[in-house]
This record gives sequence, structure tokens and C-alpha cells, in this order.
Amino acid sequence: MQRIKIFLLFSLACISVNAQEKKVKSDSTFQIKKLTESDLSVLFSYYQQDGNNSPVTGGLGTELLTDLTSKIIVNLVLDDKNTISIDGGFDLYSSASTDNIDDFVSSASSKDKRIHSNFGYSRKAKNNVTWGLKVGGSTEYDYNSLQLSGYVSKTSNDGNRTFGLSGQAFIDKWEIIYPSELRTQQWVTTDQRRSYSVSASFSTIINKRMQASISADIVTQSGLLSTPFHRVFFTNQTAARVERLPFYRLKIPVGVRFNYYVNDFLLLRSYYRFYWDDWGISGHTFSLEAPVKINRFFSVYPFYRYHRQSEANYFAPFGEHTGEFQYYTSDYDLSRLSSHQFGLGVRYSPAEGIGAFRIPGKSNRLLTLKEVSFKYGHYTRTPSLVSNIISFGTNFTF
Amino acid sequence: MLSQSCTSVKGYQKMYLNDQEMLLSARSLDYFCINFQSYREGASGANGGKVGGGCGCNE
Repeated sequence: MQRIKIFLLFSLACISVNAQEKKVKSDSTFQIKKLTESDLSVLFSYYQQDGNNSPVTGGLGTELLTDLTSKIIVNLVLDDKNTISIDGGFDLYSSASTDNIDDFVSSASSKDKRIHSNFGYSRKAKNNVTWGLKVGGSTEYDYNSLQLSGYVSKTSNDGNRTFGLSGQAFIDKWEIIYPSELRTQQWVTTDQRRSYSVSASFSTIINKRMQASISADIVTQSGLLSTPFHRVFFTNQTAARVERLPFYRLKIPVGVRFNYYVNDFLLLRSYYRFYWDDWGISGHTFSLEAPVKINRFFSVYPFYRYHRQSEANYFAPFGEHTGEFQYYTSDYDLSRLSSHQFGLGVRYSPAEGIGAFRIPGKSNRLLTLKEVSFKYGHYTRTPSLVSNIISFGTNFTF
Repeated sequence: MLSQSCTSVKGYQKMYLNDQEMLLSARSLDYFCINFQSYREGASGANGGKVGGGCGCNE
């Protein structure tokens, strides 16, 4: 009797499973759909700097500047292969040195804005290949830019290595503005600037806790590479000239990243870059972040960054150019310098999200706040520049 | 050489590597820092940020 009961139960179970299989098979419209999430990031920052080496006043004068920046990035996942990305933002800045284009004596700061946006498309193709294209532009009071870029990457079958190639082109146009006292003559021969770059990158997993990447760019620029409202003062001359720099520049940066998951509480994120260009600048940049996981969702990361570079062949400080060279600048961005930056970042990103809001008109879709982050950095650069930056970011999925 | 010295890691062994903090790129919040650094220094690029062009500066 007991054997008969077991046989009947087993038979019923088989019939039940078989019926379910048939039900799935008979429903020809049934498809397994992979869940995909689009995301939205909203970022803000406030930057403030001061120093005493503005190139607008020939390498001597206030560099006071404040900049309020916002950026929104939307990645819209159309299906498991196609994604559209849209980003846009603005900079609202006030600059005491830019104000000195017209007035040699420092006064109330000049205010202006820069607006930029990009539209991109990416596709996951066969054989672990992903490619994408992007077009965008930006505009500010004296500068307009059109940007085109594309990339392709290939990941190994085990997902442990990725090789990528990308290219970028900037087609830019200046609105020529000379310092007020130098507007009696033409100082530059073009208002165009072209920048083209190709980049190659390779990333690999080293072991269960380590991964690294290397990337290299080759960048060529041509056209008006100086800034028409930068003054340069020469030895034994009281009148300034407009900054003059070569028509062409070749830049080659190579960067290496190495990340190490030390333990459940501590990670290390490191970065090193070597930079060389044909204007005479070579530089080394090193940064280290040490994210500390307070718990699974909350991390705090102190960071430090160091940069040093040699000076461009055309640089000399205020009043030290002798006039024997064809090109000249007193822009301290191109000088021999070292800089230090340190600060602290905070990131909160619980797995289930921080909160959810119903999207109006889309009753079944939720906008979920997944992450909030904050970062503060203090920056010093020789000989006199000091700056502070506060950044705040949120990330939503929908 | 780096690739050859690596061990093969299976998908189910990537718990640490898939952590958000382990991303081999700059954080989205670093966008602003990378921008101002590229303005204030003669060197730029190889970090996912600006490589030149797009703004009126000696970059």
C-alpha cells in the first residue's frame, strides 16, 4: 500500500511538471525578458581659486575665480543591446582676472556662463564588442566648440580583459577679444582651433582582489592655441604684447590605474600618469584614494594627488621675456610647477536604494534614488595658486 | 606581460572586483576635479577627462 501511495505521488508530480512544461511551450508569445535599468545622474560643484599670477595681466595679478557647475547625465537603456546617453550642463563663473581684459585695475568680477551638451549612442554587438558614437557642443562668450567622438571595445570571453580604442575631434572657434589697450592691431592670424585625439586602453583582472588598466592618448592640436586676451610683458618695455604660441601641439599622456581590494573595510585606488608634449612640458601625476567601508553601503575615501611638470619652452614670468624668441607666454599653467591636492569623499549607496518616487504619467515605473556622494578637495599649486572644490552628486535609476 | 601574469578569475569569484569602488575609471564626481586640473596644469589626458579642445584655455 505504501509503495502504491509513493508511486501515485511520483506520477502526479511528473504529470504536474509535464503540464507546466507544456503550458510554457504552448504559449508561443512567452519570452524571457532581461531586466534593464536606465539611470540619471545629477552633479553639482562649486570651485573657488585665488592666486597672484594671472596671465591676463602678464603673469602678475589676481587669479580670483569662482565657478558654479552643474551636469546632468541620462543613460537610457532601450533594450539589452542599445543605449542612448544625453548629458548637458552649465558653468556660471566670475573671474577677477578676466575682468582685467578691459580694466587693468582689478575691480568687480566679470561674470559669464558656459553651456554644453552631448548626445551619444552605444551598442553591444556580437562577440563581446561594444561601440558608440557621440556628438556634442559647447558655447561661452568667446568660444564655441563642436565635438565628435567614437569608441569600440572588445572584452574577452571570460570577461577578465578589455581592449578599447577611441577617437575624438573638437572643431572650435574663438571670438577674438584682445586686451583693451592692444586693440589697435591684429595679433593673431586665425580664430580656429582643431584638436584630434586617439586613445587606446587595456584593462585586466590580476586576481580576485586586484585589477589594473593602462591607457595612452595621442593628441594633436592646431590653430589658435594661445589665448588672445593674455598679456606678456618684456624686459625694459612698458607696453604689453598679446601672448603668442605655436600653431601646432602634440601631446602624449600615458596613464596606469591599479585597484586593490585589501579587505572588507579597505580598498586602494591608485593612478599614475606620464605626460609629454612638444612644447617642452613633461610631467608626472600620482594619486591615491583609500576608500574605507564603514558598512556595506557607506564608504569614506580620503585622497591625495601630486603633480609636477617642467615648463614650456615659451614661458617666462612677468617682465622677463627678452624678445629674442618667436613665441612667448606668462601663463603659469605652462610653467614649471608642482601641485598637491587632498580631501575627502563620502559615498552612500544602499542596495535597495535610498528612496523611490513614482514617475508622473508612468504609473508602473519608479525613479529610485540609488546613490548620493560628496567630495571636498583642497588644491595648492606653485607659486601662489590655492583653490577649493566641493562636489555633490546623486544617481537615480528608472 | 601584465596579462600573462594574471590568474583566471571566474565570474562567481568576482565579488570584490564587481564592487563599485573597484571601477577602473574616474568617479562621475571626479569630472569637475579633472576639468579644473586640466585648466590649471599644462598636462592633461589619459584619465577619461579632457585631452584638449572644447574650451578657451591653454589646454
